[in-house]
Amino acid sequence: MKDLTPQEMLRIDLHPPKTPWMDIPVKIKPGVYCYPAKPEKLEIVGMPNPHKWSPLDDDWGLPEDWKEIVLQGMRERLDKHRSFKIFMDICVRCGACADKCHFFLGSGDPKNMPVVRAELIRSVYRGEFTRAGKILGRLAGGRKLTEDVLKEIWYYMFQCTECRRCSLFCPYGIDTAEVTIIGRELINLLGLNINWIQEPVANCYETGNHLGLLPHTFKQNVEFMCMDIEEFVGIKIDPPFNRKGAEILFVTPSGDVFADPGIYTLMGYLLLFEHLGLDYTWSTYACEGGNFGFFTSLEMAQRLNAKIYHEAKRLGVKWILGGECGHMWRVVHQYMATFNGPADFLEEPVSPITGTKFENAKATKMVHISEFTADLIKHNKLKLDKSRNDHLKVTFHDSCNPSRGMGLFEEPRYIIKNVCNNFYEMPENTIREQTFCCGSGAGLNAGENMEIRLRGGLPRANAVKYVHERFGVNMLACICAIDRAVLSASMSYWVPEVKVTGVSELVGNALIMEGENERSVDLRGEPIPGRGEEVSEDV
Amino acid sequence: MAHGGIDQLIGILTEQKGSIVEKWIQKIHETYPPETANFFRKERNKFANPVGSTIQEAAGPIVEELLEPRDSEVFYKHLDSLIRVRAVQDFTAYAALSIFFALKGAIRDIIGKQVRREGLEWALLEFESRVDRMALLAFDIFMQCREKVWEIKRDDLLKRPFVLSGGMCASYMVRRGQKHLKKAKGSNNPSLN
Repeated sequence: MKDLTPQEMLRIDLHPPKTPWMDIPVKIKPGVYCYPAKPEKLEIVGMPNPHKWSPLDDDWGLPEDWKEIVLQGMRERLDKHRSFKIFMDICVRCGACADKCHFFLGSGDPKNMPVVRAELIRSVYRGEFTRAGKILGRLAGGRKLTEDVLKEIWYYMFQCTECRRCSLFCPYGIDTAEVTIIGRELINLLGLNINWIQEPVANCYETGNHLGLLPHTFKQNVEFMCMDIEEFVGIKIDPPFNRKGAEILFVTPSGDVFADPGIYTLMGYLLLFEHLGLDYTWSTYACEGGNFGFFTSLEMAQRLNAKIYHEAKRLGVKWILGGECGHMWRVVHQYMATFNGPADFLEEPVSPITGTKFENAKATKMVHISEFTADLIKHNKLKLDKSRNDHLKVTFHDSCNPSRGMGLFEEPRYIIKNVCNNFYEMPENTIREQTFCCGSGAGLNAGENMEIRLRGGLPRANAVKYVHERFGVNMLACICAIDRAVLSASMSYWVPEVKVTGVSELVGNALIMEGENERSVDLRGEPIPGRGEEVSEDV
Repeated sequence: MAHGGIDQLIGILTEQKGSIVEKWIQKIHETYPPETANFFRKERNKFANPVGSTIQEAAGPIVEELLEPRDSEVFYKHLDSLIRVRAVQDFTAYAALSIFFALKGAIRDIIGKQVRREGLEWALLEFESRVDRMALLAFDIFMQCREKVWEIKRDDLLKRPFVLSGGMCASYMVRRGQKHLKKAKGSNNPSLN
């Protein structure tokens, strides 16, 4: 508002206009948008129209025939994806989804209502592709594709985390996430991706993981965690890497390897595998379960996912075990078998410890760590001292993709209840299939868009605040690497008394390891109340 | 005409508290687009409507505390919850905090005529000074919230890939660094104390 004169300041009307949404021009604001993709990161994976541009400039450096490119892209996708065509045609704008989006609930911006967000594209579909829309224009809910419309679509496609909560409430089953997926594909035809997605995609293509960690660095980071385990638990672990002939290949998001508090979840995995004497291996090539390609285009998701089966084949493993991740599981569960399968060189997964056949993983040959761990607990195969987690009052955040994408509700809860004595559920309309997104999924976990992240994180945080105030909850458990990173930020703003953990970290703390020390500190090196010693200061 | 006292005004305000709070809430809702205001008003489930319920839960206790200051912590907590939401929403600073001045309007709308009738204008000015002090406190909280946002942004930045150097995990380095510092402080290193 710095351009206003004092006289103008005095005339400011604080009430928003009551104009229809199509007449409210988009204002792109810092704190909401993510920085544009660097051209070289687009070039690495051969994506079109790499160029330098800024969302705040009038000129986005679009190619001359940009409009035809987008409309042709839409035409192709309407033909290719029957679901997209249906979602464009059948919405009756009943509004059932309108108030179900965390971004709308947190921001109050009506264009964050899923129906309106999809309508941004649907109006172009009507105006450019349907007879009624071409003739009647706005009367039929149609409009032409202009630069302003494109900018509006761009702005709001990156204010949707593809969490699919809205789709639960749609009487027609419209999945707005799929509209966003296609919307982002169209944006990418013009080289307008955001860097927070594009750089991980390029890194993943070149080195196998989002961070671009080279094999020796990846290995070194895991070994650092082993050093911490040696210090805090008192046992030495020597994890296997790229070991041919291992029974199981373990794949987890690289966030577990570098990001706090994901690294403690990784320590939990290491302890669990050591506890079991599991015949497994890490891979420094299939070293990323996450797939930011999924936030770019379905083809890119397929390309980046391919390494998992390739590596499983190269190493000659029998099946794949996957760590705690969100969208990795959406891609694995709903796409991998058809993207890059059939994986007929692998066997139907069987737990070598309990003999349980994971029939649900028959198609993908990939088992979720929570299913694997819950099965171990059910068969009494883990020695656990749950009192080590007594200082924690835990609640569980269902991550969007494992819950709505694959129906994984009970296993994590079963694990938590077996490794912790204090577990409290958040209110019913905020958990399981109705869970609220962390607010930063689908590649929106950048730093520059923190305001929109915090808005989107409010509905989840609001429920956490409730269990914190009512039951004294001080730990939010989850099974997603992005959740672990971004909920920490969200909590520090909304409910700073609550910390964030992966479920496997809780398991690691409770596991009684052979040859362990007195376990007076947890995997974070923090003293466990009532267990004597202060944290060791040795470095 | 002699002006009436603040006690008399507080009595009237207390009597009309319900209507004043309702009016204030309406004025807060009106700072959002109409569809949103409508939703904030209608949806009663606390978890389905976090912003609306925050406004609903905070407005009453804030007015009560202005009428009869009792528990400054409760007062602060409710102010914080209102401001914390608006500090990250699509408002400029003045628009975010305008809601506290809107309370004056709400009070005048409800008891303005009675105030004039009973010659309580001076008392109302005195009471409005309390509202102004609350607004000043709100500036403090707003700034704390904004600074927190920047702190979170900074922390996020530290974790970014380009911080990686020497092939070592960034968060591991930060954690080790903190440990070093703690240890050095513990040993009474004069350069650190």
